[in-house]
Amino acid sequence: MTSIRDLENLLKQTLNGNTDAFERLYHATSAKLFGIVLRILKNRAQSEDALQDIYVRIWQKAGDFEPGRASIITWMATIARNRAIDIHRRQQPEADMYDTDIDTVASPHSAFDQMAITDEMRQLEYCLNGLEGDRQQIVKLAYLEGWSRAELAERFVQPVGTIKTWLHRSLRQLKECLGT
Amino acid sequence: MTDRDDIDMLAAEYVLGTLDPEQRQSVTVRRLREPELDRAITDWEARLSPLNAHYDPVAPSRDLFAGIRARIEEARQAVSDQVPNLADFAKLKRRLVAWRAGALGAGAIAASLIVAILATDVNVPMRDGKFVAVFHSDDTQPAFVMSVDIDTREVTVRLVEASVPDGKTYQLWIVTEQTGPKPKSLGLLENIANPTTKQLGDFDPAMLRNATFGISLEPEGGSPTGQPTGPAIHGRLISVEH
Repeated sequence: MTSIRDLENLLKQTLNGNTDAFERLYHATSAKLFGIVLRILKNRAQSEDALQDIYVRIWQKAGDFEPGRASIITWMATIARNRAIDIHRRQQPEADMYDTDIDTVASPHSAFDQMAITDEMRQLEYCLNGLEGDRQQIVKLAYLEGWSRAELAERFVQPVGTIKTWLHRSLRQLKECLGT
Repeated sequence: MTDRDDIDMLAAEYVLGTLDPEQRQSVTVRRLREPELDRAITDWEARLSPLNAHYDPVAPSRDLFAGIRARIEEARQAVSDQVPNLADFAKLKRRLVAWRAGALGAGAIAASLIVAILATDVNVPMRDGKFVAVFHSDDTQPAFVMSVDIDTREVTVRLVEASVPDGKTYQLWIVTEQTGPKPKSLGLLENIANPTTKQLGDFDPAMLRNATFGISLEPEGGSPTGQPTGPAIHGRLISVEH
């Protein structure tokens, strides 16, 4: 079991060039980050390439992590999601085939995997439930699966401009509901 | 719609992931010099990150870390190759001494700060289009050396000889005509065992060439005020084009 504090300590040790600490950080976090990347890219080989890239970036950016600004989990997940979405946006849609051999880790073993249901999660789900019609699904497809405006437009049979309007209305409504 | 609302929606869609590649690239560059946009992005990350709980963990292949370790080593080596090594400093130092005699008293920089600006014809073995700055903490030893690649807008800072007192961090600053008279933080130099690379966003190359860079000693976590608070050393870029 690796706590958030442990993860922060491991990241701090990597600042001094400690690759063993970085390897421990990798083992505690890579299943979660791989889950993010694979869900967006849908292709195992490509996702493993991306994951390597992501950890090289985390190593390089370790000095930028500010504990007061975001949790280490959010910080690392953000780097992974941004990289996966950048790759996904630049590739052709037909490369987007589901790969069958995906093994979900059965027993969570770190703070990263467990991510207990927090008040923030309950609050966000409550606010998402308040969105009208398909919009909750649109927001989740965009965030979790990395769908573009164009992909959403095709799926929901709407002009891209309408999707943009829906997204903006939904995001404003979420912000107001969350009050943060 | 207000500008502020535009920025907020741009940040929101950036975090949501629905922008096209060009827009995403533009946002990653703009956030480096637009604190309001950067803050909006961080706020949206905090709002939406609870959704990360919906991602189920999946084990990657067992041998993946070996590749990561190899790439880290490779990156370290590449950076070391780009930054001039200590042997070059003997040459640089002679130029520096000659230059300093004429340049101190230029008055633009506080007297307590030690300034290193080097002549433009120093022969440092680096590729064309690159610039270098040397930060001296005293007359003899360079403390930090920084190389700048104007094309990629990347600065790489390497510690040559400086110690980090407990509970302190070095922080890198830039002053350009573009950003006004107050130093702007380029981030912390925490990872002193390795050369640190920072992105300079889309600073105008002409501005960059005339920029003043500073490194200050700050409390752990960086300057609490957003401006340098500790002792600082400054450097300006010199061209290393042959």
